[in-house]
Amino acid sequence: MDGRKEMTMTFDVRKHRVFVTGAGVISPLGRTLQENLDSLRLGEDRVSEVTAFDISQTRCKTAGQIPISWLDSVVKRSRYAARLHRSSQMMIAALTETLRTAGEVKPEMMVVASSAGGMSHGELYYRSLQNSKNSNGYSRRHHAGLVASYMPQKPILDAQSALGIKVPFYLVSNACSSGSNAIGHAFELVRAGLRDRVVCGGYDALSELVFVGFDSLQAATPERIRPFDRDRSGLVLGEGAGLLFLESEKSAIQRKAAVLAEVVGYGVSTDTSHMTQPHPSGIGPRLAMSRALESSGLRPEQISYVNAHGTATVFNDATEGIAISELLNRVPVSSTKSMMGHALGGAGAIEAVFGILSLMHQFMPPNINFREPDPTWTFEVVANQSRSAKLDCLISNSFGFGGSNASLALQRV
Amino acid sequence: MSFSPESNFYIQGIGAISPLGPDAEGTWKALCEGKQAPRIQFANPVSDRNYYYCPVPKTFLSETANQRRLRRSGTVSLNGAAAAFNAIHDAGIKEGLGRTLAVIFAICSGGVNYTRRLYHEIVTEGAAAASPLLFPETVFNAPASHMAAMVNCDEHTYTLVGDSSVGLSAVQFAVELLTVNPSLEHCLLVGAEEGDWLLADAFNSWRYASTHENFEVYGRETGTLFGEGGSAVVIGRHGAIRLANHGPGASFFSKMDAFRVARGAIIPVIQSFQPEVILGSANGTFTDKVEHAVFTEAGVNCPVYCHKPALGEALGASALQQIVFACLMLKNAQIPPTLSAGSLLPTVNTEMRSMPMRRALVTTIGFNQQVNTVALERVCDKPH
Repeated sequence: MDGRKEMTMTFDVRKHRVFVTGAGVISPLGRTLQENLDSLRLGEDRVSEVTAFDISQTRCKTAGQIPISWLDSVVKRSRYAARLHRSSQMMIAALTETLRTAGEVKPEMMVVASSAGGMSHGELYYRSLQNSKNSNGYSRRHHAGLVASYMPQKPILDAQSALGIKVPFYLVSNACSSGSNAIGHAFELVRAGLRDRVVCGGYDALSELVFVGFDSLQAATPERIRPFDRDRSGLVLGEGAGLLFLESEKSAIQRKAAVLAEVVGYGVSTDTSHMTQPHPSGIGPRLAMSRALESSGLRPEQISYVNAHGTATVFNDATEGIAISELLNRVPVSSTKSMMGHALGGAGAIEAVFGILSLMHQFMPPNINFREPDPTWTFEVVANQSRSAKLDCLISNSFGFGGSNASLALQRV
Repeated sequence: MSFSPESNFYIQGIGAISPLGPDAEGTWKALCEGKQAPRIQFANPVSDRNYYYCPVPKTFLSETANQRRLRRSGTVSLNGAAAAFNAIHDAGIKEGLGRTLAVIFAICSGGVNYTRRLYHEIVTEGAAAASPLLFPETVFNAPASHMAAMVNCDEHTYTLVGDSSVGLSAVQFAVELLTVNPSLEHCLLVGAEEGDWLLADAFNSWRYASTHENFEVYGRETGTLFGEGGSAVVIGRHGAIRLANHGPGASFFSKMDAFRVARGAIIPVIQSFQPEVILGSANGTFTDKVEHAVFTEAGVNCPVYCHKPALGEALGASALQQIVFACLMLKNAQIPPTLSAGSLLPTVNTEMRSMPMRRALVTTIGFNQQVNTVALERVCDKPH
């Protein structure tokens, strides 16, 4: 049924090469692959004061935000378009570009990630309940459409509907590692020969509850975000969507698809020591990266760059820094979150797209706002300016709440 | 078609917690006796619109709630953990399996109690009042993280979000994980749900939730009533009940589209698998008519059972509940009575029936546009 393949224990799970034959991204750095590439090369700082909700009581006041005008241009103005959640608009933009770059071929399925789903519509719904009380003090009926958009699978359905495709999907929600988990699972399906063409990635839009939540944990900074800096003080949030079109070598060759890059490895680990903090030894990130290497058959010295999770929180960077130093020693590292903030469930996917742009255009995006290296680590931070480099293989890291860790290994073709 | 006589994946253990029982066997006994879970009105913070639901009694959760890891967690994590331990015990596997056990959580609403509480504080008192203890528990993967910690799973932990079909998507996801990771021996699948007035009111705005104490299935479209609970299955490479058919499901964009999609997804499975019993997902909403039309067109003449009038619509937990009850039907050769069955579908089983069976089909049509099926076949007489 629906093209699924027979699953038995005996087949070779590393049977097929997995090519990236399409990609799409929308982030505070740009609406398209080209705009994001330009911003990455220039080291643009797209973190600005939050305008979507009240920030008078929060320590952190900033985030990486996609301008409303960019999103409004995604779908032709209509009553339907007016009801769409920001996340749906982002997904439509990213899927449109992904299918276009893939040559308008249809996927067999989608594996998409989100951490917050349509939270901001949930917020609007709850506020409308609170603020619409009648003379008896009871709230009146409220907007049913907001309920539908709250569901995290809705943006996938909206994007499929907008582009006239209808394929099965998974919605993976492993907190901030979700995007890499979604790509990793899709990669394993294609590599094992269970699927030939899968669209995968993730999205998340800024929301008040999540913004305030991170602020309450004092994980968000009132200053600039400075990943891997000795004086780092926390993250800022971001938003966006990133998607990849993964395709088996056989399918890509058959239809003469242009290949952007190759996914060669995926590693996951679950660090169960604490709900919101990683184990200080760095065992979680280290296991994820070493499993990605094991999965790819690459040696540590073959990795020429790491696009780090690099949230700039004291705990994340400390443990990720230890893990990278121990496993990959002097490798160049940067966190693109320094330019656009942390897009949560979308982050791993957006950063995988950035990794592919890095491989295609042979450069390392910068880690901006960087001042002083932390002497604990051996690796080299790509400080403040992008750098041309010969990149063959890189690792993209994503780590999340609940100890969910994922690493992807990407290779130039 | 994806019927695979050589499919190598099996149900190894089942577990549940529900308003009618602290475990799968207790719930099953109550269902077979035709019991209906007690209905209680939600505490209602803001409106004169009242809804009933079927809560899990706190006494059922006392042992699970004593787990150190769960001391601050919400009901959804507690329900999930109770069901998961029940399934692990039933499968006879030891905890602490590290890389050989994957945890997959199927979620619909997530930690809606804590999410509402946290946001209520933000709305009414301002951002400065937000609790850093509540926030981590609002994240969709909080229950999976707790579960992984309690069974020492250090590699594959996933949370899948969807509607009441999500448990069946999780079955397919588990099979994929087992297929591509030969070192994995078991996947623990957990579905869980908690009740909240906000959830019922939200669904009522779509006319999917009823304000009454009861609802009919395959009859009048009155809206559903929510239930709490947890359900879990362990899937592995050997066992007594084989996953004969499974898939990622299909989606529909509108109610108008639902029948066409459900027809394409369900009828071929019915025709090829020839089930001896079907566990439907009827819940008093538009999905009942869709399911009825599909069964009618497929010429279904085997008994159809639906547990939701007894336990309530438990969304994230409900599809795995259906699988748990299907396993118990195959094991015990019994079909419980469907309560509050309407007149649409004559094959609905309304009385306790004893009947040896080898093939059971679970079908789900969710509120939020997802359709799926899982076919189960008893392959030896000594389950688990």
